[in-house]
Amino acid sequence: MMPKINDFTEGKTLSNVASPLDGIKVLDFSQGISGGIATKMLAVMGAEVIKIESPQSGDISRSRGPFIDNIPHPEKSGQFLYLNMNKKGITLSLDNETGIDIATQLIEWADIIVENFLPGKMDEWGIGYSAIEQINPAKILVSLSPFGQTGPYKGYRGNDITAQSLGGLAFVTGDPSREPLQIGGEPAEYFCGLSGFSGALVASTYKEISGVGQHVDVSAQAGIGVAQMYSGLSYILTGKERGRRLASSPLYKTADGQVGITLRQTDWPGVCEMIGRPELEHDEKFKDMDAREKNQDEITALIAEWASDKKKQDLYHASQERGMTWGYICDAKDLIESPQYQHREYFVELEHPIAGKLTYPGLPMKWGGDQWDLKPAPTLGQHNEEVYGSLLGWDNEKINQMKNSGIV
Amino acid sequence: MNLPLEGIRILDPSQVWAGPTCTKILGDLGADIIKVESARRMDIARGDAHNPQIDQGMYLDNEPTDKPWDRTGRYLDRNRSKRNICLDLTHERGVDAFKRLAMNSDVVIENYRQGVMARFGLSYEDLRQIKPDIIMVTLGSQGATGPEVAYGSFGVTLEQTAGVASITGYLGGDPSTSGVLFPDPLVAVASVGIVLSAIRQHRETGKGVYIDFSQREMTSSILGDMVMDYTMNNNIQVPIGNRHRTFAPQGIYPCLGDDKWISISVENNDDWKALTQCMDNSVLENDPRFTNTEGRREHHDEIDQHIAQWTSQKDAFIAMEILQLANVPAGVVNSGEQLVHDPQLVSSGFWEYSGRGPSDSRPYLSRPFQFSKTPGATQLPAPLLGEHTEEVLREVAGMSEEEITELAALGVTANDPLSFK
Repeated sequence: MMPKINDFTEGKTLSNVASPLDGIKVLDFSQGISGGIATKMLAVMGAEVIKIESPQSGDISRSRGPFIDNIPHPEKSGQFLYLNMNKKGITLSLDNETGIDIATQLIEWADIIVENFLPGKMDEWGIGYSAIEQINPAKILVSLSPFGQTGPYKGYRGNDITAQSLGGLAFVTGDPSREPLQIGGEPAEYFCGLSGFSGALVASTYKEISGVGQHVDVSAQAGIGVAQMYSGLSYILTGKERGRRLASSPLYKTADGQVGITLRQTDWPGVCEMIGRPELEHDEKFKDMDAREKNQDEITALIAEWASDKKKQDLYHASQERGMTWGYICDAKDLIESPQYQHREYFVELEHPIAGKLTYPGLPMKWGGDQWDLKPAPTLGQHNEEVYGSLLGWDNEKINQMKNSGIV
Repeated sequence: MNLPLEGIRILDPSQVWAGPTCTKILGDLGADIIKVESARRMDIARGDAHNPQIDQGMYLDNEPTDKPWDRTGRYLDRNRSKRNICLDLTHERGVDAFKRLAMNSDVVIENYRQGVMARFGLSYEDLRQIKPDIIMVTLGSQGATGPEVAYGSFGVTLEQTAGVASITGYLGGDPSTSGVLFPDPLVAVASVGIVLSAIRQHRETGKGVYIDFSQREMTSSILGDMVMDYTMNNNIQVPIGNRHRTFAPQGIYPCLGDDKWISISVENNDDWKALTQCMDNSVLENDPRFTNTEGRREHHDEIDQHIAQWTSQKDAFIAMEILQLANVPAGVVNSGEQLVHDPQLVSSGFWEYSGRGPSDSRPYLSRPFQFSKTPGATQLPAPLLGEHTEEVLREVAGMSEEEITELAALGVTANDPLSFK
């Protein structure tokens, strides 16, 4: 057998790396979920992101789980590892003049600066938008905050549940007879960060034409204000409150979980067929929407009994094959095992020097025939030598001196 | 006033929620959005108006008139800042017109079921023949490939199949969907950045691209903690009500009045101390069981009772002010009416007056971000069906008056739907 010379002999076309934001330079002062996801999106799409962390504790996500084996460790936080792919990590202390001076030099390098301190903090340090604009009016500052940079609540503390509350989402979620309910998984933080990603690109698109940068002010509350839609708009258009109500796709228990059943007008024959009761299709009690609404309890009981010994995925597939839009409750295991996700290779495996090999959610889109080049999150200060060396021209002696003085 | 996305043109046959909301935001910021509908099949968001019982389909002024499809609340909110062309894409002359529009557009955004654009003869490959550098974005429920590619979904289905519902619900209870169809606006906001990334790549390289964007995967992408907990530890997270996995206590507590609530979140020991001082409860403050987060989590139920006792004597806004002045994260649970009057949203100009004429002076939702130099705002009220058909065919497709008249005579363009139930 002929020895292989290289990969090309196998006849594979090596695909290109998708990198639509190649060449954009981002300096990232942010932390936690909102900042993490905003600059992660920029980084995985090809921007060069330098993430600044405090030399002592690092990004707050490093101290929030989930941790490998549930043992807190700054390099083993699932939240940090997931949110910081493809970034370069440096450390810098901002509570002293030298640190701020170094930050200013790094700002000179960047096209886009991202931060999520309390509003006013960057100004206090002398590196707020007006200072940045003076350095170069083409620069873009993206500020993520709970309520925005102006207004009566700008100094208020906020996090995910306050945004879900003040943004009008919690009020309409949950059981009408109980307290309002948040959506799990801190979606308001993610929504805010993804708005920051999009906002950064709006400003960047304009800058590339005009040469003019600006300050992008992203509010988590406003994000949820956009996301809730039904609640505010219902009131605006009808003058009536939309309260909590039972879901439009009620969940039924199966042997192994739940399915969500949406019953559109045209779905009834399909439902009768699926539950093995085709004669019910033309039964007087269920013949049209009005009749079915009147006898909803009976329908619910029929479906509940039928579903109780079935498997959720079987029902999901069977309904969809009949053109009905049912769902099934996917937990994390179901997602990993989803045939659809496996086919699309949504999950990716990355090797991290300390956390080891782990499976991560990948990117939600394919970019032509190109492949995403995903890299693990940086360890604390991993790129200090590289970044300070290449951008600020520091030699080893200078880096050591900065390390010893606690600045880096 | 300059708009940041001036000069970008987007051909938009997308429908319902996620796609239209994405293009609404792009339109507010200056992109020229050409919404394509047909007399055979209008945007579904126009369609619930026939049933006044369904409040999502609320009419403008509660008045359906003889053109109810132009007056549903959700259509009006999601479709401002766009021009509208009504074009039959099952007719070859409609397809031809679409292609001529595409030749002078930067991006096509669509969310038809898989295969529909190809049946029209308007797949990415078809469009690339006439404009090699076109950018096309398919916002598919499940993406454009895979065994479930043909499966339908609504926002409420995606909350289930993407995993959000599995960790939403009352403590100890079953999974639950939200009251707002969260995946749609999430996809909309994220896809603004995706579209602009493709435009940036085009400016740099001259190349177009086909983007296969999965709404289900996008929704799973906000579940980092949940997925990583499983891939690292085989731990399957379940609903924890209004609690937090790191902070304690956290909850939504009753206030004075009917259906009035406040959320309170104690992130650290300082917050706890401040909260107990606000409650004027030194017993709680000094209880050694509660001095750290672990202890407070262990006794969460007991602590919740104390907090609820205090909040239920207070007006929600007053309680929020007391707590925020003491630097404790707290937020009123705004209803729709309260949201419209929320001091922060009103002060920051969140509400936008984009109605059609003097009869619609109501506020609509704006955007999650503000731009200091190019603010953006509603450019046009939501268009009537086919309102800009002639103008767009003339200006963008470069058609003659004869051609335009002919298309109307053939029924390829129209101003009324063929059927409206």
